[in-house]
Amino acid sequence: MTHRALSIRRYLPDQDQASYWQRYEVPADDSTSLLDALHYVKEELDSTLSYRWSCRMAICGSCGVMVNGIPRLGCKTFLRDLPHELRIEPLAHFPVARDLIVDMDVFLDHLAAVKPYLIEDAAVGTFDPAAPTPHRQTPAQLARYRQFANCINCGLCYSACPQFGLNPEFLGPGALALAHRYNLDSRDSGKQARMPVLNRHEGVWSCTFVGFCSQVCPKHVDPAAAVNQGKVEAAKHTLIALFKG
Amino acid sequence: MSQPRPSSRQAFDEPLWWLLFSAGGVCFAVLLPATILFFGVLAPLGLLPSNAITAERMTALVFSLPDLAAIGALICLPLFHAAHRCRHGLLDLRLGNDGINKWFMYGLAALLSFAALSLVALGLWR
Repeated sequence: MTHRALSIRRYLPDQDQASYWQRYEVPADDSTSLLDALHYVKEELDSTLSYRWSCRMAICGSCGVMVNGIPRLGCKTFLRDLPHELRIEPLAHFPVARDLIVDMDVFLDHLAAVKPYLIEDAAVGTFDPAAPTPHRQTPAQLARYRQFANCINCGLCYSACPQFGLNPEFLGPGALALAHRYNLDSRDSGKQARMPVLNRHEGVWSCTFVGFCSQVCPKHVDPAAAVNQGKVEAAKHTLIALFKG
Repeated sequence: MSQPRPSSRQAFDEPLWWLLFSAGGVCFAVLLPATILFFGVLAPLGLLPSNAITAERMTALVFSLPDLAAIGALICLPLFHAAHRCRHGLLDLRLGNDGINKWFMYGLAALLSFAALSLVALGLWR
């Protein structure tokens, strides 16, 4: 068991409008995750520290923080893989509410704008348990969108995206990847409703293919690929719109 | 914190710039290095047959109909590719206004493309 130094950017708006760095020493071994280290600080050293977490297994997407300037999930980041000095900050490009907690409303608004759910053309009839009519999907149809369906809405890609940092109106990698995921789904017929949202300057066209979103994604969703496939779709959408007049 | 209602204005021009950028990227990566290798490295080093590049052959090659397409692939499309990158570089550096930068960058690419194609067309017509 060794000791590791953890510098955390503190922000307590009820006490001071300025943020400051606070240094903690935490015990660590090969199995200590960053989230474990934050728990140690909260429970043993300083109960005023605030941070979000829930599942501890990279499913809930709550514990995203900046680790030495790189967005990472606290639970999926182990101190053994990191340099000795650690600087922990709240996720970049989001307004900070307190300590490591950010306000993700911008992301949630963008997410809602792309209608990330299955949309059916036909009116949904009443469910008859005696004669259920399931949506059938072949493995090939599933494979088209499956990778993009792994998103856990952690927001790391938004902290990695310099374009979202410059312009928060940009829909951003996460929302665009989910829009693409539903556009690719054989059960969905909502593409017509989504394309006008994607084909805006603040839609797919704000992406300059930096690709850092895909590097930081803890679920290997590859949002950069989704956004750039979305550009092909948006270009097709524009051409069709031009011919239809 | 709720965002103001976002603009629903469609980006009709962006697909055009992006398609030119994509096509230009392929030409930049594949055709331009081959051309530079041929005329910029192999020829000056004397690694080509002595009659490979003569004034008569080059005149016949440059002022021909297929060369119009070659100029499009070697000069015009890479110009639009570069213009797209420069425009987004300016955006990243927060220099100028994107609306004006767009006109300037793609305008410059269009102007230089027109000049290159005109030169070939004039040579064909003479």
